[in-house]
Amino acid sequence: MADSERELTMSRAMVDAIAHEMRENEEVFYMGEDVADYGGIFDSTQGLLEEFGRDRIMDVPISETGFIGAGVGAAMEGMRPIVELMFADFFGVAMDQIYNNMAKNTYMSGGSVEVPMVLTTAVGGTYNDAAQHSQTLYGTFAHLPGMKVVVPSTAYDAKGLMHNAVRDDDPVVYMFHKRLMGLAWMPAPAGPKTAVPDEDYVIPFGEADVKREGADVTVVTLGLHVHRALDAAETLADEGVDVEVVDLRTLVPLDEETVLESVRKTGRLVVVDEDYRSFGVTGEITALAAENALDDLAAVERVAMPDVPIPYARPLEEEVNPDADAIVDAVRAVAE
Amino acid sequence: MTVDVDATSVWPEDQQDVAEAIVANWFVREGATVEEGETVCEMQVEKVSVDVPAPRSGELTEILVGEGAEFTRGEPLARIEPA
Repeated sequence: MADSERELTMSRAMVDAIAHEMRENEEVFYMGEDVADYGGIFDSTQGLLEEFGRDRIMDVPISETGFIGAGVGAAMEGMRPIVELMFADFFGVAMDQIYNNMAKNTYMSGGSVEVPMVLTTAVGGTYNDAAQHSQTLYGTFAHLPGMKVVVPSTAYDAKGLMHNAVRDDDPVVYMFHKRLMGLAWMPAPAGPKTAVPDEDYVIPFGEADVKREGADVTVVTLGLHVHRALDAAETLADEGVDVEVVDLRTLVPLDEETVLESVRKTGRLVVVDEDYRSFGVTGEITALAAENALDDLAAVERVAMPDVPIPYARPLEEEVNPDADAIVDAVRAVAE
Repeated sequence: MTVDVDATSVWPEDQQDVAEAIVANWFVREGATVEEGETVCEMQVEKVSVDVPAPRSGELTEILVGEGAEFTRGEPLARIEPA
């Protein structure tokens, strides 16, 4: 009875799934910077060292090329590594391992090896960590063929998507937003902490979730901005604008059908992304709607990070990272 | 007779000279049924996160220190109506 009343932070829900998979399958292990004794700087591995020991919860030196490459090798040999890239921003120093090896070895070997690896990585700003530690980079990873890309927005989704990520035989990039994890030093908004079943369950990739149903305007978003969009929808409901919020949950594969169904229903689309505006999620979703639902489409707006390095100063970061008010303005613009 | 949820028993050994902490997260809401030993909230003392257990099984009737709020050691964080 108490189980159903338990609510978990997103970090604890992720750890729940990882621990379950590690108990079920001894080939699963976790490797990354500060994941053992520290428990992950964003609590992604809290408590796992105590249960599984240092052979399966491994701290690694600061060499992303080295340890991500080791993860790819382990995966090709039949293990199921979860490798943490502490900040998505650091992908640059290991891009060859990620893009040319993790993503492509299945193809390059003519399908004779699989790479059942999960690359977990922290994304997002809102805490004044400047241009090299605040990016979301959804578009960068989703652009590169060969990797599935997962972006949870709640504890419930985070657990089900993690179970699926570890069980998937293809490489998965699991991008968790720092602000959603439930850290004491970076309090989460209301929303990501949800009831989470004790038992395991799988959320399939490529299934977006309509987090709020509405008839007037479709907001398509992911990650932290799901919660900002829901806040905006509350405000707009008071004005008589009924907003539907679609949480993509995975970028690769992309649930085109759910997006198009919603756009065909409302005819008005706002795409919200914390990643940069150009060549990213907002452009992709807008193009999807234009190609497939042009006749139903009355108006489109994009709300995203402008194409500038993310500022360190709090007022400047708040200016560039879209808040609920920015979403409200965009919805009003398409609803007119 | 209600029982207080109190963090004293789990206060970190090496932080005994620190009297203040904050509640980082509640994992149950008011009115939830809890079991003795179940983690009901997470507190943070000098950047160390510690899970606080329910001292008794029953209904958690009232949360006294909300998320993000500071408290001093020994201060009740919530009340449980024993089952």
